[in-house]
Order: sequence, then C-alpha cells, then structure tokens
Amino acid sequence: MTATSDHNRPVSKDQPAWTRRKLGAAVLAAALCLGPLAALAQTQIYDARTKKWVNYDKKKARQYFARNNQLPEAFRRQVVPFRTAEQPGTIIIDGNQHFLYLVQPGGQAIRYGIGVGREGFGWAGIVRVGRTAEWPTWTPPAEMVARDPNAAKWAAGMPGGPDNPLGARALYLYEGDQDTIYRIHGTVEPWTIGLDVSSGCIRMNNDDVTDLHSRIEIGAKVIVLMQGAALYKGV
Amino acid sequence: MLRSKGFVPVALALAIIGGCQSAPKPEDMARTSLQTAPADLQLICANAVAGTAKLESTKVLPTSSRALDATSYSVDLDAGGRKYNCVVDSTGSVKSVTPV
Repeated sequence: MTATSDHNRPVSKDQPAWTRRKLGAAVLAAALCLGPLAALAQTQIYDARTKKWVNYDKKKARQYFARNNQLPEAFRRQVVPFRTAEQPGTIIIDGNQHFLYLVQPGGQAIRYGIGVGREGFGWAGIVRVGRTAEWPTWTPPAEMVARDPNAAKWAAGMPGGPDNPLGARALYLYEGDQDTIYRIHGTVEPWTIGLDVSSGCIRMNNDDVTDLHSRIEIGAKVIVLMQGAALYKGV
Repeated sequence: MLRSKGFVPVALALAIIGGCQSAPKPEDMARTSLQTAPADLQLICANAVAGTAKLESTKVLPTSSRALDATSYSVDLDAGGRKYNCVVDSTGSVKSVTPV
C-alpha cells in the first residue's frame, strides 16, 4: 500500500488547523489512490497471432510493456467517435472498460487508457475538476511511514518528480466545493494502465495526464461510470 | 497421411475459415469480462431518462449495463433515487425507457 498527497510543500504541526485538515484529507486520498493490485473485472486483450482473447493481468501487462515499451494499442491515446450531448471539455470515465474520454466537438472524443480502483474501491458519480497541480507532492500515510524506511524519509512530503507516485499531473475531483479526495493523476507504473489497480483514483501514464491537463478547464464536468461501484459521488 | 488426398482440401478449408474470422480493429483490441454498454450509449440513455423523469441530466447516472444481443444494450439508471431501465441500440437510438 502506498499513499499520496496534493500539496506542493511539506506541512508541519505548526501550521494552522485547516492546513492540517487538508493534510489529513490528502493522506486519506493517498491511502485511497494507490493500492495493491486485484481484479474487479478481468481485462482481456486480443492476441492477433493466436486470434484469441487472452487475460491481461499484472504479470502479462509488465511483460507486454517490457517487450514493447508501450501499452497495447487500445489503451493508447486516440481520437474516437463519441455520440453525446455533453459539452466539449467534459471528461467521461468508463471505469469498467478502462477508458477516459475527453469530449471534443463534432461527435468525437480523445480516448485515453486508465487504471482504476480495485474490487470494493470503484466509485461512480458526477463531479468536477476543482483544481490541478503539476508534479504534485506525495505524502505517505503514517502507517506506511512507520513500516517503510523509504517512505519515512518522505513523511513531510515527497517533492514532485519522475519518481513520485502521483506522476506528472494531478486533477483534483470535487463534489461542489468539497474535495472528494479522488484524483486523476499520473503514475510511475505505466504498465498498470488497463487494470484495476488503485483504491479509487484514476491513473494515467504521464504523457497522457499531461496532455489531458493541457486541454481541460478548472470546473470541467467529470462523469464516472462504474458498474459495481462501492460509492457514489455527486448524485 | 499428410499426403492423403483429403488433407489438402481440409487444410485449405481450415485456412479459409481462419482467414474469414474478423479480428477487432486495433483500437478495439481490449475489453473486460464485464460486457457493459459503451459509455456514449449509457449517457444517451441518461439523457433520455432525464427527459422522462423531468430531471437535470446531472442527477441521472447509469449504474449498470449489459448487452442484450449483438446490436442492443440494456442500461439501468438512478435518477435522483428513482430507478429506470433503458434499452438502446448500437446506433444510439433509444428503444425504451421504463421505471422499475
């Protein structure tokens, strides 16, 4: 279990209560966003050589990424037809199929591959992008600091960078003016795209989350579809 | 045995059959064991239910979906606490909206 945070500077006990509350929320978000791998629904990819659908799990995903240095084509960024009445700029997340759509004009969307919450951690709802951060800081939760010396050195927050678990960008999802503690963020494990990997956050590879971040506006509507969701937000 | 008269036609037939099986397009070469409706079709149903329930679309959320056959899907939705079912085909045409 790993964790995360949303601040760009370390936080101390001397800071005001509201800041500590924000830190508490951030640490909870950390615990929710990053977690061990488990299957909610089995991802499959088509093997063109054998002409069969094959299960795509953590091991296969690692092997595929090591061999090809990229994701299976279906999970790569691409423009697809998308019939919707939603406004361009709306983000639609299909958690079951591991796709994030950014609605474009003309009946199209940009589709990105994503990793989502593992069983029991999936959620659905209608929320919005409350704020964003570039190279966000990651703050491990106290229990991780206690057991992991590597995490302990980042107890006050790991600065953003290529080794930071939150990756290159974070989009903070709000329900009204309240932080849901869920985020769309990058990752240092790009092979996990297409899998049920987190404790509720939506993860993308760093190039994709950077591209998405460059295209969206603060306040953008985010619709999260997830069959079997354990939690609903904003509806 | 391989040189038997029957082998060549059988092998040829198998090759033709194999060649006829259409592979998905590269962008469609991933799926999950949950055969849910495409996201855009789920949201088309959400719009239809919003109209029926006289609610803002922001209060209507698809909660589950499944393929009925090769060209149509059933979508279950929550509209401000009321439950609806919607049937939509793969062209985006809503066939029915019913309270459940």
